[in-house]
Amino acid sequence: MTPPALGPAQLDALREVGNIGAGTAATALSQMTGAPVQMAVPTVKLLAVEEVAREVGAGDQVVAAMFLGVNGDAPGHMVFVMREEAARDVVDMLMGGMDGGGDEGAPFSEMELSALQEVGNILTSSYLGALAQITGLRLEPTPPAVGVDLAGALMGAALAEVAMLSDTVLLIEAAFGDDDTPPAGGFLYIPTAKALTVVLDRLGVGG
Amino acid sequence: MSTATLATAAGPGVGIGEIAASGDPGLVISALGLGSCIGVVMADHLARVAGMAHVMLPQSRAGATGPPGKFADTAVPALVESLLRLGADRTRLVATIAGGAQMFSAGSGGGLFNIGERNEAAVRAALSAARLRVRAADVGGGSGRTMRVRVDTGTVTVRVVGGRPVEL
Repeated sequence: MTPPALGPAQLDALREVGNIGAGTAATALSQMTGAPVQMAVPTVKLLAVEEVAREVGAGDQVVAAMFLGVNGDAPGHMVFVMREEAARDVVDMLMGGMDGGGDEGAPFSEMELSALQEVGNILTSSYLGALAQITGLRLEPTPPAVGVDLAGALMGAALAEVAMLSDTVLLIEAAFGDDDTPPAGGFLYIPTAKALTVVLDRLGVGG
Repeated sequence: MSTATLATAAGPGVGIGEIAASGDPGLVISALGLGSCIGVVMADHLARVAGMAHVMLPQSRAGATGPPGKFADTAVPALVESLLRLGADRTRLVATIAGGAQMFSAGSGGGLFNIGERNEAAVRAALSAARLRVRAADVGGGSGRTMRVRVDTGTVTVRVVGGRPVEL
């Protein structure tokens, strides 16, 4: 299916989707860690699926990525990415140093990975919950899969699954951080072409 | 990057779905972060040409669009073609492959389609159809890999996070 045409009104509406979704998730993250989380203005782009990894960038940086499917009225995928240090900080905070905190470069333990998975679960659920609330759509996340490795390797694997459904995808990307550069992480929401039409209709800017 | 464009040693490397081939002996062609994707390297060390494809999916499905490097069944012939244009001898071309890992653990979002394994099978089938020998392979497992090939010697190294480059 060909994605719908995106004019300024559609792009604005989708940016707002990213804003509300990622903003709600950032608030949840901030509550979890007790530290302020700043959101950047989301970017919205229609891309060939193989270009998404380059767009997201930093292929050779180590990141934690949580990848999940979105089922329901507007299916698609979500990826929640954090820089390795940021992921360690969150895990340490949640586990209260129980697991020794792990050194930079050391692999994450099973327990740390499941803590990360839970973080991904909470944040993506709040993103989708906020989106469901403004659109009235039923959106159900699948349990997130988690990986810690090169950003390019994780993104490539996630995108391969997205590419089974579509050659062209819409990427709604929202970076977050704590005023540091580069950003600590980001939320990627990748609705299918069909879902995009549904979401735009609900937002009153359908074709 | 289309086929037969020159990769630069300082460049961003061969991205997903891209193919790079070169006859410049000073160059190293690399793919940063192969996950379930497969890096396919072909080299003719006598002609001193080498190339790499960064394959994302096993086959081009009906109606699928994308560059030839995106799919195993189109990437292999396209890479062979670009190396022949650079002066490689078909009978001397040897292939080295790396990648095809399972990057995500647990959850239902990842591994649904087992793409890493399917990519490897499809790349091997395409190489066999092109009558190319696989000289060495570093595939599977659960880690991302960075793959490099020296154009002058055809030497291939693979590195995982926190590891040293290993020559294949």
